[in-house]
Order: sequence, then structure tokens, then C-alpha cells
Amino acid sequence: MDKIRLILTLVTIAIVVIPIVGMLLAHQGNLLGLFIPPEITEIEDIMGGDGGLEPPQIVGEPEYNETTRTFSISFEYTNSFPIDITFNSFAGDIKCSEHHFTLGNASLSESVSIDAGETETLTVLGIWNEDAMGDTGHFKAEHGAEETVDVILADLTVDISGIQIQMDENEMGEMQVPNPTYQG
Amino acid sequence: MSDILTKYNWFALAGGLMTILVIVVSLSTPWWQLTVGDDLLTVNASPINTNMGFLDASFTIPFIFALNIVSILGLLASAIAMLIYSIIPGKSYSIHLLGFGYKKPLYTVLFFIIGLVAITMICQTINLNFPLMGSTISTLPIPFASGITLTVLLSAGFQWSFWLAVIAAALCITARIYHGRVASVP
Repeated sequence: MDKIRLILTLVTIAIVVIPIVGMLLAHQGNLLGLFIPPEITEIEDIMGGDGGLEPPQIVGEPEYNETTRTFSISFEYTNSFPIDITFNSFAGDIKCSEHHFTLGNASLSESVSIDAGETETLTVLGIWNEDAMGDTGHFKAEHGAEETVDVILADLTVDISGIQIQMDENEMGEMQVPNPTYQG
Repeated sequence: MSDILTKYNWFALAGGLMTILVIVVSLSTPWWQLTVGDDLLTVNASPINTNMGFLDASFTIPFIFALNIVSILGLLASAIAMLIYSIIPGKSYSIHLLGFGYKKPLYTVLFFIIGLVAITMICQTINLNFPLMGSTISTLPIPFASGITLTVLLSAGFQWSFWLAVIAAALCITARIYHGRVASVP
């Protein structure tokens, strides 16, 4: 009976000790490697290296549709991640860069999937709000004589494959949009 | 009928078989899973097999892998002891087999839960909050670039294999309680 007890105790000790000692011996030259697998370094290189989370770049001129009071802006984004990603949403306020007045809001026209290493164009649709338009609106009152108005995107939130990226106002830089109330 | 019910410890037999099933199932199905974003990062955790998946790559922390081997061998030894005990519960040494076998599934489940709770609390100290069950939106503490903040949807939950392990542990405990009935039969 004592033999059985002794054998079971030895089995318990062996089960615990052998795998841990074996792993310690396998990493005796690099004990840190016991806790940090080599793949972590590769991931750090990807995230902190050449890219991944670069802001999209504006391409071309914004287009304005007077009938619908909407405009569209195109952005180019290069996916430097080694996996395919999807832009699920893109939303933010459009503000006059001079007065920080909210002129409208912008959102992604449709979700866009970008393969690893590829560049795709994202089309963002915007709509001017009531306070910006009309005879007493901001465009006419403050920029009536200007053909274009400098604007910034504020409180911008981009959803990429479930990860939401919130950017400061200055991350996207200034851009020019046609003044919808400009009479020439 | 009464003889066959008390000649063998059926709970130990079921507990041993269920423990083997838990080992086999847990090799491919985690007990607990955490998903970040749209499956961008996944953490698959169980005492049998713990790994992480990121950017299409799967990796394991070597020390955790060693602990997984400890758990596999421990549960396997426990299952074998329970199976042997279940067919000879009346022998003088059987109580040692039972004592060796019935606790391990319970301890494995308990240590797994304690470990998960401890990791959750440690992560909270560095402002990285993730749920044990359910979903939450978490802000990553280290932005990759200035002026950019990252928030992610974190979803976590216990999988069916965890509940299988709980059943195995419960059967093994019941086998210990039932031992009084089989051992008292001459």
C-alpha cells in the first residue's frame, strides 16, 4: 500500500518537474525566450516598422453636388499590414479651419477591403448642415467672397477590421472644399 | 442489480472517460477565448493548449506550453487512476488511486479560473481591460503614433469544452463521495 502511495507521489512530482525542467534546459541560453516567443518581435517590427497605421492621403479635388448638397472626397490608403483589412466605417465632423465652426459631417460611402500590400481608394461622402448653408449660414456669412474654404476633419473615427482609430484634428491636415454658396 | 451498482464505481468510470474526452477535445477547442476586433487577434486559453493568433500567425509562450504539458500528463494520469480504481474500488490500495485521481480535474479547473482572473486584474493595472465573459470596448494604452488613439472591441467567453471539464471534475468528486457505498460492500 505504501508502495502504491510512493509511486503515485513520484508520478505527480515527475509530471510537474520533467516538462518545466525540460523547457528550462531548452532555453538555458535565453531565459527571456521562455516568456517572450520570437513571433512577438516580428509583430513589433510590423507595428513599429514601415507602416500599418498611416493616415490615408487625400487624392484629387472634392466634388460637390448642389442638388443633394453633398460632396465627395477620395482618399488613398496603402495597406502595409501582411493581412487583408477592411475599412468598415469612417466618420467625422467637417470644421472650418479658420473658425472651428462645424459645417457638416463625413462618412465612408461603402466598406472597402484592401488586400495586404495593396492601395485602394476610399470615397468619403459629406453633407453640409443647415447652420453652414443658407443666407445666414457660415459659408455665406464668413466666407461669402471665397471660392474655396479650408476645412479640417475633426473627431475622426475610422473602423478598420474592428479596430477603431480616433485621430486628432491635425492628423489629416487641411483641405480645400468648394464654397457651396459662392456666387462668383 | 444492486451488486453491479456497488461492485464498480460508475462515477469514477464516467469521470475517467470524461477526463480523457476533455484532454482530446481541449487540444483543438479552447476553454476560454478572447477575440480582438474582427478576429484580428485571438487568445485561445485552456490548461491543455494555450495559444495566440495574430496577423495569421499562431504562437505559444514556451513556459505556458510547459504548463500545458504538465496539465495534459496530470489529467491523463488522473484519468488512468480513476479508470483502474473504478473496476477495483474495494481493494485496499484503491483509495490511494482515487485520492490521486479525483482531485486533479477539479484543481485544473480551479487553477485555470484563478489564473484567468489574476491575469485580468494584472492587465487592469496597466489600463488594459478585457472581459472574462461578454464584450467591451477597450482603449489601447500605447498609441502607435502621436495624435492617434486606438479602441478595439474585445469579446471573450468560456467555450463548451470548459463546461465539459467542469462536468468531468464534478463526476470525479461524485466518485469520491460514492466511494463510501462501494467500499463498505464486502
